[in-house]
Amino acid sequence: MSLDLIAYAAFFLTMALTYAIMCLGLNVQWGQTGLFNVGIAAFVAIGAYVSALLTTPDAADRVGGFDLPIAVGWIGGALVAGLAAWLVGALTIRLRSDYLAIATFGVAVTVQLCVLNLQPLTGGAFGIGFIPRPFGDLAGDPLAFGLSNLALMTAVVLALYLALQHLAKSPWGRVLRAIREDETAAQALGKRPIRFRLQAFTIGGAIMGLAGAAQGQFIGFIAPDNYLPILTFQVWAMLIVGGSGNNRGAILGAVLVWGLWALSAAAVSAFVLPEQQARAAALQIVMIGVGLCLILLVRPRGILGASNALASLTRKRTPKSKE
Amino acid sequence: MTAPALSTQALIAGYEPDLPIVRGVDLSVAQGELLVLLGPNGAGKSTLVKAIAGVVPVHFGSIMLGERDITRVAAHRKIGEGLAFVPQTENIFATLTIHENLQLAAAVLPKKLRVEKIAALYRRFPDLATKPTRLAGALSGGQRQMLAVARALIVDPSVLILDEPSAGLSPKIVAEVFAMLKEINAGGGTVILVEQNVKAALAIASRAVILVEGKIRHEGEASSLLGDPLIARLYLGTSQPQKAEQP
Amino acid sequence: MNPQFLMDGLIAGAMIGLGAIGVTLTYSILRFANFAHGELLAWGAYLALAVSGALGLFSTTLTRPIGLFSFGWSLPLAAIIAIVLTGLLALAVDGMLFGRLRARGGAVIILVMASFGASLALRSLLEFIFTSKPAYYTKALQIAVQIGGGLRATPDQLLSLGVALAAVIAIHLMMTRTDIGRSMRAVSENSALAGIAGVDVRKVIRVVWFVGAALACIAGIMTGLLVQIRPYLGHDLLLPLFAAAILGGIGSVPGAMIAGLIVGLSEAAAVQLVGAEWRAAVSFVILVAVLLLRPRGLFGRAA
Repeated sequence: MSLDLIAYAAFFLTMALTYAIMCLGLNVQWGQTGLFNVGIAAFVAIGAYVSALLTTPDAADRVGGFDLPIAVGWIGGALVAGLAAWLVGALTIRLRSDYLAIATFGVAVTVQLCVLNLQPLTGGAFGIGFIPRPFGDLAGDPLAFGLSNLALMTAVVLALYLALQHLAKSPWGRVLRAIREDETAAQALGKRPIRFRLQAFTIGGAIMGLAGAAQGQFIGFIAPDNYLPILTFQVWAMLIVGGSGNNRGAILGAVLVWGLWALSAAAVSAFVLPEQQARAAALQIVMIGVGLCLILLVRPRGILGASNALASLTRKRTPKSKE
Repeated sequence: MTAPALSTQALIAGYEPDLPIVRGVDLSVAQGELLVLLGPNGAGKSTLVKAIAGVVPVHFGSIMLGERDITRVAAHRKIGEGLAFVPQTENIFATLTIHENLQLAAAVLPKKLRVEKIAALYRRFPDLATKPTRLAGALSGGQRQMLAVARALIVDPSVLILDEPSAGLSPKIVAEVFAMLKEINAGGGTVILVEQNVKAALAIASRAVILVEGKIRHEGEASSLLGDPLIARLYLGTSQPQKAEQP
Repeated sequence: MNPQFLMDGLIAGAMIGLGAIGVTLTYSILRFANFAHGELLAWGAYLALAVSGALGLFSTTLTRPIGLFSFGWSLPLAAIIAIVLTGLLALAVDGMLFGRLRARGGAVIILVMASFGASLALRSLLEFIFTSKPAYYTKALQIAVQIGGGLRATPDQLLSLGVALAAVIAIHLMMTRTDIGRSMRAVSENSALAGIAGVDVRKVIRVVWFVGAALACIAGIMTGLLVQIRPYLGHDLLLPLFAAAILGGIGSVPGAMIAGLIVGLSEAAAVQLVGAEWRAAVSFVILVAVLLLRPRGLFGRAA
């Protein structure tokens, strides 16, 4: 019994950590650079599908599987998602700040459409199954399997966290901060804000792709329904609760929000009549939306966050006078 | 003695509450005066007039227009109170036609008066009347300034405030603009002028106030300041700014 | 290719155009892309449904179809009430959310983000109240009539086109000929100067919300009448709305309408040529093309 519980806890935490990776990716884009991405689900989906395509065994009814090692799938997923982010960024970052948001929204719609309709590549609405899972040979022993995967995901998150911390403190990160604080001054120093923004957006997109790949491989099954706009909202809620700009907050927020989400979903399915469950789920989403707005209004720094971009963005005024 | 046309009492203002740029100014402008505000860059001249116009927040003190306290009057209601402000740059609506610019300003007047007032302005500024359907953005620098002033005059303001009307204009156009201000003043209008173009401004002004670091450092007759070499050296810069350019 | 796609495209385009006018107005005057605008369409459609249902309870004569149309007087009456209610909803959201964020002087992107949260809450609230089951204003069936050129259209469709045209002309006249329209254009160009010139900017903002919401409501009711009413009705139209607003040029009312028609016709053509499952990608392609080739749109001012 208690072993089952530990296995479940390991599963839960591993899932939460995959969200933590998405959240870290979003933190590079939003928390550190102030780029608003409304298409997180798209980049996650790209990572998941590319990785699945690379690692599944050859399938008769669709293109690929190439039966490559899982690590190749992860890297491939991250690269292709990064490329997609680079394309979107290159198109919109030089324009008004909200054009990027609109474009990423369009990407989310289009990617969703592609995974649904490019059946030979993506398996259509049924998705792709039998994706090789890390430590798959341990599957007979749920506890060992769960703990090994948890250890792997923890290592990935830790490595990513350290890398991003290092990046934030590096000259590159300092330039990014300078651009965020005062674009004109940074420009005067010979830094080209557009290039740095584009780099940050690409890195963030690649991290989201990695998260998608890791999550898909961990669950072993992916379908278009996993990548609906609600995923984007969840990741946003995680980052904002954790406090944007703060990598530790991003991880903590992911675990916290995913926990709340899973708990409330469990409560809904346990206590709400089946015919009312869709409504209860809708109410759950209303809460996320209202919560997001409330945090923007009341605690722009996030619940746990300290110093961050969001706070400085909400406070920033634009004094036009020269005096 | 009548009340001043405009006065401020211990005025503290600035964009941020913890960073006042105007630091306690007691300004008094008499009826029919043409007052010029002078001072080095960053002295707070522009911020002072913007605070009076309601564009920059006032943190402390008060602003009186005649005998009425207008400190807390919203910016868009000040024109109706008789206080007109012409900002330094972007002081016309470039995407609206000349006529629409004037119609927009006339909207604060009762409906019956509007057409007549606009017609009166066209008589006063015949340049604008030649092609009222032109987009204001297509006007030359001098014409823009004229339109901006015309826009401000539509309500027959008791006080007209201009923030550096000569900025970016060629000397010839500056002379025209200043002649226009002189004329408005001669017609009995109270005018407050922020200027970098010290010599030209002092030549038409009746009185000058010198602002330094957000406070009034000196005030006096324009003619006396013009001849005072110490003041010229200390606060006004000895050389005349040569920033004029052909529009 | 069946020429009937022109009719379908025109009708879809008219609805997109009406919605896009609201997007373009809020964008040009409040200076942010409102992701919650689609929700105003959906709320408008559901409010009209609720009111017309309530009216139907009072008197069954109100639900008897008028002439050739599929609906009774309860729907036009409900539409008027729904327009007012949708406008009030937009004002309420602005008062509670956007207005406060504006007053704080925050960055544009915070407003975009807030609109994102608001859209989620508003949409799911609809789903909570009305469930995600599609609803209809009327169960009456309509037969399409020949209107020449090999095209067929139902009386409902023709009426919708007429209403859309009338609404666009009314808004265009308002923008170009009236005091409030002039004030709106002034605020859109330079709100600080508009204030100095005596324009009550807050009033202009209220008018913008109300007008945008009213048009959204009309578009939502049309979609509900001609297709069906669903909580995702607005969300699914959001990308076409943005594409049309940007293609038309932010701030341009005729631009938004013309671009809406272009988007609608392209979608209909794509359905014919590529297949209905790709319809939603058309707006994205148009959006990318505009951002790539002419970011200020067809009738927009240079930035």
